Amino acid sequence: MFHLLNRPRADAQALADAIVALKDRVQLCSRCFAITEDDPCDICCDPQRDAALLCVVAEPKDIYALERTAAYNGRYHVLGGVIAPMDGIGPAQLRVRELIERIALDDPREVVVATNPNAEGEATALYLSRLIAPSGVRVTRLAYGLPIGGDLDYADEGTLAKALEGRRVLA
Amino acid sequence: MLLERVRLSNFRNYASLDVEPAPGLNIFIGSNAQGKSNLLEAIAMLATGKSFRAHREAELVRSGALVAEVGGDARIAAGRLRLRCSIDRSAGSTRKTFDVNGAAVGFARFLGRARVVTFVPADLALVAGSPALRRTFVNAALAQASPAYYRDLALYAKIIGHKAALLRGAVAPDRDLLLAYNDELLAPGRSLMGARSAFIAEIAAASATIYERWHAAHERVRVTYAPNTGKTDLAEALAANVDNELRRRQTLVGPHRDDLRFELEGRPLAAYGSQGQQRTAVLALKVAEYEVMRARAGDAPILLLDDVLSELDAQRAAGFLAALDAFEQAFLTATELPAGLAPSIAGFVVRDGRLSRLAC
Ligand SMILES: [Zn+2]
Repeated sequence: MFHLLNRPRADAQALADAIVALKDRVQLCSRCFAITEDDPCDICCDPQRDAALLCVVAEPKDIYALERTAAYNGRYHVLGGVIAPMDGIGPAQLRVRELIERIALDDPREVVVATNPNAEGEATALYLSRLIAPSGVRVTRLAYGLPIGGDLDYADEGTLAKALEGRRVLA
Repeated sequence: MLLERVRLSNFRNYASLDVEPAPGLNIFIGSNAQGKSNLLEAIAMLATGKSFRAHREAELVRSGALVAEVGGDARIAAGRLRLRCSIDRSAGSTRKTFDVNGAAVGFARFLGRARVVTFVPADLALVAGSPALRRTFVNAALAQASPAYYRDLALYAKIIGHKAALLRGAVAPDRDLLLAYNDELLAPGRSLMGARSAFIAEIAAASATIYERWHAAHERVRVTYAPNTGKTDLAEALAANVDNELRRRQTLVGPHRDDLRFELEGRPLAAYGSQGQQRTAVLALKVAEYEVMRARAGDAPILLLDDVLSELDAQRAAGFLAALDAFEQAFLTATELPAGLAPSIAGFVVRDGRLSRLAC
């Protein structure tokens, strides 16, 4: 802000124009509700993507996090938040109805719920799995784990306890 | 453990204080409002990160100052421990920061590094008071003893908060969402119940020994865990009450409604015991808490007694003080030096936020 005060008026105008242009260009994808310039978004249009795999995330930024892994090749659905009645957010405030309609239409093989591993993210995942269960579609949840390259010593007890619960067989 | 040094700055009515307590019994003597309880409050904060009596944490910061600090150096079984807690109210709301041995840590990693057993006059209402008081007693002890318990407790409280808000809401509660919260409550709820059941069984065993030691076996009080769900499994109890909860628009079952039961010869102590018997039961409970915490940690907690002796009759006070010999380190506040103390105590006179050593 202070930086801007010391600049010529034209700079401020250019920045303002850029913000307006961005606002005009950017919209929500009508299928997955990700932020996009074109509707439907690139991911929804990409024929290389597995259309039978659907990942549910809370916010558009979670898509970028998962995309950076390059380990996921399905499609997404952005809820627009997580259920939190204490903050006045129920299923009606999120894109839950849209998700259920999309599952009925697309009949995916699996729905991965990738909400955060906290009280609200977990409740949202459990709620969605109850709604999806009657359709017979498989619902999965991201596993909890230790950070790669991390040190057992520095992991907090909660993460470590969850990682122990989710241990896998080696031999 | 042994607290070897306590430093305060801008904490309550202390501008600055640097004191080296002694092993054994330390007594802070002073009239009311001179700051003797503030010292115990500060020491308790080193263990629990919270005040045992402030309603607003901004109260902890001395008037005219913005940041209060409590620091302590202790010797524990595993070596040395340096703790610091600071309370900053400069940003309008109060912000607390913690560090252990010079490294900044979050609340969950600070809690329970030092351990205290506090005994304040309000504890005397434990037997006859509300169930919330007894739950707080159990939660405070277990949260210090185990980080996992604190984590489960915080998670459970958050889920119950959402569930209660859902039930209270303006629109008719979504049944599937209620069931989702019930699913989510199961894991932390069962952990809390398991930890409480084990802890209270240990407390009961220790308190039975204490009654023997006090030659009061004839008035022995039995303390047991009274889970809100009784003998029913938590999942079943939750399922059985779904319609009830939807109708009454409130949460009705779960460990947030647990209780402790005190019985004298099979009858409820609160209804059938004298006030004296109820007080003895609380004394036994507190000594038992101390002994269970010591046994679990392999290291004695610090005992903090805030103005409780004046609430007890001479015989009970003497019995309790005699038991104090067994403590590694205790801090006690009183308006005057209690009679019948061992000569090896360290006494301090507290006047207007300053301390002076009492020559014994
Ligand atoms: Zn899309």
